[in-house]
Amino acid sequence: MSKKQTDNKRELPQVYVDDMLMSLKYFTDEQELHLSIIDPAVCQACEDQPCIDFCPVGAYRPQDGRTVQIAVQSCVECGTCRVLCPYLNVSWKNPRGGYGVSYKFG
Amino acid sequence: MTEKIQFDVVVVGAGMAGSTAAAIAAREGLQVAVIERGQKPGAKNYFGGALYTHALEEIYPDFFDRKPPLERPVTETGFWFLSNDGLVKATVQGGYIDNDPVDAYVALRAEFDLWWAEQAAAEGAFFIPKTLVTDFLYEDGQVIGVKTDRPQGDVYAPVVIVCEGVNNMLTQKLGLIDHDLRISKTALAVKQLISLPPKEINARLGLPDTKHGMAISVVGDVSMGMPGLGFLYTTTSALSIGVGVTLDALQETQIKPYNLLQRYLEHPAIAPLVKDGQLMEYGAHLIPEGGWTTLPKLYTAGAMVAGDAASMVNAIHWEGTNMAITAGKQAALTAVEAHKQQDFSAKSLSKYQDRLKETFVLKDLKQYRKMSAFLSNHPEFMDIYPAFLNDALGLFFTGFGKPKRKLYKRIFRSLTNRRPLFKAVGDLIAFGRAVIGI
Repeated sequence: MSKKQTDNKRELPQVYVDDMLMSLKYFTDEQELHLSIIDPAVCQACEDQPCIDFCPVGAYRPQDGRTVQIAVQSCVECGTCRVLCPYLNVSWKNPRGGYGVSYKFG
Repeated sequence: MTEKIQFDVVVVGAGMAGSTAAAIAAREGLQVAVIERGQKPGAKNYFGGALYTHALEEIYPDFFDRKPPLERPVTETGFWFLSNDGLVKATVQGGYIDNDPVDAYVALRAEFDLWWAEQAAAEGAFFIPKTLVTDFLYEDGQVIGVKTDRPQGDVYAPVVIVCEGVNNMLTQKLGLIDHDLRISKTALAVKQLISLPPKEINARLGLPDTKHGMAISVVGDVSMGMPGLGFLYTTTSALSIGVGVTLDALQETQIKPYNLLQRYLEHPAIAPLVKDGQLMEYGAHLIPEGGWTTLPKLYTAGAMVAGDAASMVNAIHWEGTNMAITAGKQAALTAVEAHKQQDFSAKSLSKYQDRLKETFVLKDLKQYRKMSAFLSNHPEFMDIYPAFLNDALGLFFTGFGKPKRKLYKRIFRSLTNRRPLFKAVGDLIAFGRAVIGI
């Protein structure tokens, strides 16, 4: 059988997302965080911790084993974590006016 | 106590819907404030993407004389079907799409939305950027304005048009919809804008010059079997290339969105297109693909909702910006009428929905109401069939000097190995039903 019929998947490359974030412009709010974990213990107990994977800017990062930390300054305010956290354990709101990501091109 | 800030209409969000609503209401003589949370209009917006001439000209008949900051016209458009290692192209150029002006133009939202807002400002709308609307002001159960995050930031108006975008927290606050975004009906799209010399773009994509451009929907290997689509648009000097998949699929597969995008960029048919390009911008945005099935109630006493906030997206046809424009206009006209009658009740503003029913917006959303469920239930259209199409054409054009009966058997087998024939027929019927909406 020819290889064409096996539909073997090409591998998923691993990208260092921070390199891509260099292309983004942010106005970082030093006073107020628009994003936070409601109860860190819930994250500790969360088996899959899917936020580490689904966040499109990799803002959710594992820290010291099972602790999850948010690099809030990387957030592009897409809203994915708010609805995709299996325990809805994310406090999500828009940054204050003028702050957050500011797309140069869009 | 300072003086109350009072307008006739407050618009929340200076995107396509918001700035359109503001322009129309201001043109009709109303005092309009547009409150935008970004540094400037467009700062929070990120799309493929193309804008549609019919909608732009509906608002400004002299649209093209105003020198809009558009990128290339879309002179070639269609589908690319990706297999694991191959590509079948089905695009159209000339013929019905050879119009002057053409039907769609590639655009970059940061620049375009700012310009679109400036057109509304020229009509008399007042823009308040860098300001977040946090809640509504009520009187006797009727919306009479908005609260903002500015000190003494309350802004009063008998009509508020909510064009807040996909994360419709304010729409939810109004009680117009009783749930947050559904993960099976919301897609996350990630995109890279990749800079290349215009000549290089033309050469790689077979475009004669920068007055020609492409809008391509990419189906198949790009989404790794998840319900989703890739896209490729040509700006003047960049390729806008990305992929969107539904949130529930992302959750299930635990695939990192940027790895998925990178895999798409490394596809043997795509890699040569982006080779040596420079990343200008990476970004991510949600798309409310539920359409009709996640449509909120569109009005309440003193408020209306339009655009992404109201789930006005037709994912199959890449329509959203045009729906936002049409809806913004109809909301504004409803506000104008309400001011004439001095009646801002829910009943008065319900005319917004009546008006929208007469446009393509609600007609199409209703017709396509089964589409998002269909795509979730039929991942084979994102996986098996694009791969089969590649095999079928590939085999057909390598069958030289061989008995053709055997060739057709092989092609047939490459389908049935993937999907039993009766199921394939069923899939086609289901697809037809989802499109026609029966």
